[in-house]
Amino acid sequence: MKTRHNPTPDRLARAEDLLRNPRPGSRIEAAQKFGIDLTLLIEKLRLSPAERVRRMHDAANAAEQVRGAARRDRT
Amino acid sequence: MNFIVAVQALADEGVDFVIIGGWSAILHGSSSVTNDLDICYSRNSDNLKRLASALAAFHPRLRDLSQDLPFVWDQATLPNAAILTLSTDLGAIDLLAEVSGLGGFEDVKAHSILVQAFDREIWTLDLPALIRTKRVAGRAKDLQVLPELEGLLEAGEPE
Repeated sequence: MKTRHNPTPDRLARAEDLLRNPRPGSRIEAAQKFGIDLTLLIEKLRLSPAERVRRMHDAANAAEQVRGAARRDRT
Repeated sequence: MNFIVAVQALADEGVDFVIIGGWSAILHGSSSVTNDLDICYSRNSDNLKRLASALAAFHPRLRDLSQDLPFVWDQATLPNAAILTLSTDLGAIDLLAEVSGLGGFEDVKAHSILVQAFDREIWTLDLPALIRTKRVAGRAKDLQVLPELEGLLEAGEPE
């Protein structure tokens, strides 16, 4: 059974370093060139999976409130 | 989509399932947005019973079925299709018995990891398998998330 463990501080620091300083020709650099905001990935990696889900819920709820307000303004 | 309530309900009922698709990407750290919860489930008859029971409280209906037509949600509904696209009180939930690029439930579970979240233990695709399914699916929305997932994979790889 494979269990996802939170990354060790060293592993997290290395991941953050790779995302802050993408190596030429790397997949991270390709993601950056594609338009991915790597700072968002750094932020997400610092969170637990549950916290990532909660952030997504919060963002979706905020978006829904904005859409609701826009609908009300139109009527 | 109320992901947390849906996953807790499935876990509490003892459903054997794996989270795939967009919510799996989010669990891995993706910032992509998704509207539905995609899960792959075991077609074991006991599991079908548990799955039907877990979702019953949220009034599942087939999304592509007219509201006027009757629809019965029970264990007998589940083996009839490889993919069921449901509308529920919690949001859209897609149930898949197989996943392109991986295979049936046992293949999917073999490429999954166990994650602790919301006081439950839940299975989700590991990152290489998620990337494979997105690549095989090949739709614009799947391909769009690939660079981000590849970046996450590389960032997490050992030296």
